[in-house]
Amino acid sequence: MRKYLTRSVALIGAVALLTLSACFSEREGAPAAGASGSAAPAKGFAADALIGVALPSKTSENWVLAGDLFTNGLKEAGFTSDVQYAGASTTVADQQAQISAMVTKGAKVIVIGATDAAQLTTQVKQAKEAGAVVIAYDRLITNTPDVDYYIAFDNFKVGQLQGQALLDGMKAKKPEGPWTVELFSGSPDDNNSGVFFNGAMDVLKPAIDSGDVVVGSGQTDIKQTAIQGWKAENAQSRMDSLLTSTYNGDKKLDGVLSPNDTLARAIITSVKGAGKDIPVVTGQDSEVESVKSIMAGEQYSTINKDTRKLVAETIGMVKSLQAGTEPTINDKDSYDNGQKVVPAYLLPPVIVTKDNAAESYANDPKLAPLTQG
Amino acid sequence: MSRIKDLQKNLFGGTTSNARQFGMIFTLVAIVLLFQIWTDGLTLTSGNLIAVVSQYSYILILAIGMLMVIVAGHIDLSVGSVAAFTGIVVAKAMQEFSLPWPVGILLGLAVGALIGAWQGFWVAYVGVPAFIVTLAGMLLFRGGNQYIGNADTVPVSEGFRTIGAGFLPEVGPDTGYNNLTLLLGLAACAGVIWRELKSRQTRREMNADVAPMWISVLRMAVMVGVIVFATLRFAGGRVGTSLPISGIILIVLVLAYSHYTRNTIGGRHIYAVGGNSRAAELSGVKLRRVNFLVMMNMSVLAALAGMIFVARSSASGPQDGLSWELDAIAAVFIGGAAVSGGLGTISGSIVGGLVMALLNNGLQLEGVGSDMVQIIKGLVLLLAVAFDVYNKSQGRFSIIGSLMRPFRRDDPPPPTDRPSPASDAGKAPVAG
Repeated sequence: MRKYLTRSVALIGAVALLTLSACFSEREGAPAAGASGSAAPAKGFAADALIGVALPSKTSENWVLAGDLFTNGLKEAGFTSDVQYAGASTTVADQQAQISAMVTKGAKVIVIGATDAAQLTTQVKQAKEAGAVVIAYDRLITNTPDVDYYIAFDNFKVGQLQGQALLDGMKAKKPEGPWTVELFSGSPDDNNSGVFFNGAMDVLKPAIDSGDVVVGSGQTDIKQTAIQGWKAENAQSRMDSLLTSTYNGDKKLDGVLSPNDTLARAIITSVKGAGKDIPVVTGQDSEVESVKSIMAGEQYSTINKDTRKLVAETIGMVKSLQAGTEPTINDKDSYDNGQKVVPAYLLPPVIVTKDNAAESYANDPKLAPLTQG
Repeated sequence: MSRIKDLQKNLFGGTTSNARQFGMIFTLVAIVLLFQIWTDGLTLTSGNLIAVVSQYSYILILAIGMLMVIVAGHIDLSVGSVAAFTGIVVAKAMQEFSLPWPVGILLGLAVGALIGAWQGFWVAYVGVPAFIVTLAGMLLFRGGNQYIGNADTVPVSEGFRTIGAGFLPEVGPDTGYNNLTLLLGLAACAGVIWRELKSRQTRREMNADVAPMWISVLRMAVMVGVIVFATLRFAGGRVGTSLPISGIILIVLVLAYSHYTRNTIGGRHIYAVGGNSRAAELSGVKLRRVNFLVMMNMSVLAALAGMIFVARSSASGPQDGLSWELDAIAAVFIGGAAVSGGLGTISGSIVGGLVMALLNNGLQLEGVGSDMVQIIKGLVLLLAVAFDVYNKSQGRFSIIGSLMRPFRRDDPPPPTDRPSPASDAGKAPVAG
């Protein structure tokens, strides 16, 4: 019996082996199905090729707008597009699966607005091995050598513009220094926070050193100025304590460097609550409430990073990849993701104050009406 | 009718419990074929199958533990948080104390066991319902994840990544395939055949009915065919890819836990407790110990799943593990487990999980947005269970019921399948 058993196993095993080898010739081409784009990407690809766009979940209107712009823009450019948002509850896993699916479908270029910039290593590698070009959109994908390009607004420049706006605003209000300021920076776990702050300090430092600008509380280190989680309530409570500790008498606060609009409004709320004059407060992101505040003369400035431009530039990049030419790069050495220096194309941000708001938002259907009158 | 029944018994039921799994697999095959046609053959390409396995292996590992929890009449809502907590602990420990990665894995399993002991203690010895204990655990360990990780993303080393993103090495002659995967496939074929023949032999020795030889041959041919096909797909991907390591971990766990729940006294005790805990206790089942071990086991598997995800993502982040518990629970119920406990099998849950995975994957290949994917998955879960419940309550023929009958323990048992009288005592009240 046992003998019969072993013999059958051996027999059927042999049959299976034969089946295996019989399949060889037929299956030789199969790997290509998953990786049909293994031709060198620099040589260009079909004009109607599939372009994948993986964006974070639809929590911010900016991403929803970007998705629509990508869908329409890629279609107009003649590509087949696959624009995906990560699900709201399972963002990282969803985005990983979506990128894998795009690779399987043979996407030639995958544009990724990462939900978690450090958790896509495996998928990006997979894309690269399948011959797709990976473009990190707005957020640099870290922890991997397989990112080809990075496209975003120049965040260092954002900081510089904020610093300059702060100086200009204070000069306009009070022609002669010294001016007293307070500094705020973004969440310590966000890579960009440091970039904004360093940009601003690049402009402010000389003025601080010469004594023209005085930081009232003396808190100039990014660790002291950071606002955990970019949360409005944290900014408000820091401003509250600064007002009590440093500005309780008739000492005047001339300006506050704020990295974005949400924090700027929180700072203004705090100052108003303390019954003080509103200082010059910078911002970023062109949020609706802040544009209103600027028009009302409270917040001094914000930054306009036009999503339309960023998407248009990205599609331009895809087009030059399609034609087989090297896309335009204007920064070859600033963006190190820990594994490689990613060639980047940086768009210039635009500073917006009450003076140029109407002009800056002329093309924005949502903000333009706010700037009228 | 009786002839059809005979055939059905011969093909799906009757002889080996292994062959019973054919039933549910039909549903899976239907979904695969649907998407295979819909996506112009993308679903079954090597690249896609490899991606699906590595994407969903951690959910399927959770489903194994969850099945046992649900069979025992409990639920575990904390698995996602436990996975995330373990992930960040392991990633941080490896980063700060530069632990070698195998030590990191052991540490993770130990953390899982500790958490499991904590939850098991409250469930089994204090008697707090598992729903509450694990709801608390969900908050506790999610908070713990953020507290330790500072809501930051912590990368892990290259070596650690193998358990989530690794493949078998390319060794031996250049056959155009991954040789180790081929060997695994051959071993699987041999295993299937050996099992079938062994069971015929056992039945003959016990003077039970033996199915005609052609039935056995047909069954073997189908299984071998599927295995050969899968092997070739997994072995024939891009150079450097193979059956993912995480898939191998999954297969080992499925085999081990299937054997445990089906063929060992400890495993049958879980069913006894879930079927009727009072009767089980009176028959001598150590109720508390079973509950404790089931909860603890779940957390260990959750820890493992968390580490596999971290390895695959190459970093542990604050969003790890979000709503995994729901995916695992859905897989178990689609796989035919009963909400009241006492019914369900590991293989059923795995097939249920694969149904969800392939549905997800197919819809993504079609470019359906994640909003619609969630809606569709929700409906599939609801309809799959509701359709069956309705048909059963009408006393009509239930398609899913008949497909899943092989998974249920309420049909007349084959003699080899009831090792312990205790499980019989526990089973009887839930039958029908």
